[in-house]
Amino acid sequence: MVDRTTEELYALREKRIRDAVALKVPDRVPVVPNGPAWPGRAMGVKISEIATNVPVSYRTIIDAYAGLGDIDGIQSPAYHVVTLSIQWLSKVKVPGRDLPDDELWQVDEAELMTAEDYDAILAEGFGPWLARYYAERLPGATEEFEAFAAHIPEALEACRARGIVPFTPAVATVPYEYFCGGRTMKEFMLDLFRKGDKVQAAMDEALPVLIENMRGVIRGLGLMGLWIGGWRTASEFLAPRLWERFVFPYFQKMVEAAIEEGAIPVLHFDANWTRDLERLKEFPKGKVVLSLDGKTDIFKAKEILGDHMCIMGDVPPSLFSLGTPQEVGDYCRRLIREIGPAGFILSSGCDVPITAKYENVKAMVDAVSPVD
Amino acid sequence: MTVSNLAQSLGDLNEEAVIQGVEEALAAGQAPLGVLQELQAGMTIVGERFEAGEYFLSELIYSADIFKTAGAPLQERLKDQVQETHGTLVLGTVKNDIHDFGKDIVATVMTSNGIKVVDLGVNVEHQAFVDAIKEHKPALVGMSCLLTTVFDDMKTAIETIKAAGLRDQVTVLIGGGPVDQATADYVGADIYCRTAQDGVSAAKKILGVS
Repeated sequence: MVDRTTEELYALREKRIRDAVALKVPDRVPVVPNGPAWPGRAMGVKISEIATNVPVSYRTIIDAYAGLGDIDGIQSPAYHVVTLSIQWLSKVKVPGRDLPDDELWQVDEAELMTAEDYDAILAEGFGPWLARYYAERLPGATEEFEAFAAHIPEALEACRARGIVPFTPAVATVPYEYFCGGRTMKEFMLDLFRKGDKVQAAMDEALPVLIENMRGVIRGLGLMGLWIGGWRTASEFLAPRLWERFVFPYFQKMVEAAIEEGAIPVLHFDANWTRDLERLKEFPKGKVVLSLDGKTDIFKAKEILGDHMCIMGDVPPSLFSLGTPQEVGDYCRRLIREIGPAGFILSSGCDVPITAKYENVKAMVDAVSPVD
Repeated sequence: MTVSNLAQSLGDLNEEAVIQGVEEALAAGQAPLGVLQELQAGMTIVGERFEAGEYFLSELIYSADIFKTAGAPLQERLKDQVQETHGTLVLGTVKNDIHDFGKDIVATVMTSNGIKVVDLGVNVEHQAFVDAIKEHKPALVGMSCLLTTVFDDMKTAIETIKAAGLRDQVTVLIGGGPVDQATADYVGADIYCRTAQDGVSAAKKILGVS
């Protein structure tokens, strides 16, 4: 075992991740876990603290994942539950405030955004409309988010000081996700059919603002990578003609902008995107990561995109919660063998769930190390 | 089987034609129940196209909303009549989970396919499923969740139904974001439904609807 300084270790791990993104074979498949809630449960920290106290969240997240073994990075080392309100224009039930202290937060879906808001966006401009929306319908969210953002540099530093790469500590997403969260999924889908032109015009108004915000975050924090998230934009939910019109072009522009800024866009794509994997070939080769949550067929993704895009994932939440360490280890080794070793980053599918067994999360981390 | 123009219009998601077709049928003196059955035949076309990969959740939601809007005058005329349904589904998001989107879609799609839905809402107490089974005598129970933290609640809800001696009387269908076959095995459910349409297909099969 070679003794390395923290700086050397950090450089080695960063190279490992960058090699994977560039579709090279790294010295070892990198492992980069994700999720704020499980660390709280694993470390005996109340979920209300993880949800709302940023210094506690980043210390707990870093300690929990670092304690598992030789991890290369953490997708996002800092957390505050207000980020969900900010990106989905929704209220969230918060532990310690709306829920018992140690329960998981939950998005409280309601029609906070109305059909008239599309007109308001076009009349006022997306930026001013958004500021007014937060102030009127999610009071306190902007202030909480700003307080969270102020802590991010120290969270990144705390992560780097352990020799661990804070890979994707920020989230950007397309207008669809914002509007769908604010309108509710049902009402928004009906809007796509019944007032598609207006929705599209509002999206076109919103996109440049969201891209400028994303550019500012990448520059301000000097990000190596960031999430460009897709949840309700998943192929499985939408007819191809709707997806091609309201989803894909917006992702294309965001991905292009993130690459221009020198960041690695990690397409954090939850739910099933299998139908449209072929379309992702339009993104630049070797510069983007496709992160899957267990619902998209990751083996199909390898077949279609393996020589074009790094793939990350995808230990499913139910396997972490209900499986055995042997089953988790077997699945991870299959991923390393069949999705890797080039262009693959091992991770949880979306978050490690709060109910994951400790030994199962450790089995994922242990899977990347060769057996002596 | 011949399909009426009205059913075909709904199958094709032609909203204006469906609304107009219902109005014309009623104006021509057609029996409301017959018109409703035509709309249900339209929903069957939607379901078939979903299963064939031509339609997606977006179309399920839109078609169910057209069904609801166009069918409103029918429901008004039929409100005093006992309506025949294929069977009953008691449905709820399990205890400690407040997410209702998946459950609501299932309720809408099941209803528009002629299945009576008793919607218990979200954060449903285990005993409430038992009470609803006793009251409504359903053939089907549907449970939904979006959180892995409530897998044990789902399991307990099913065990509570079993302890009440009612487990053999119902088929338990489950679904939701993190749910998969392993979850179904763990909680002791009968059928895992990946989509709302999976639920409709399973329900129709169990209820003997062709």
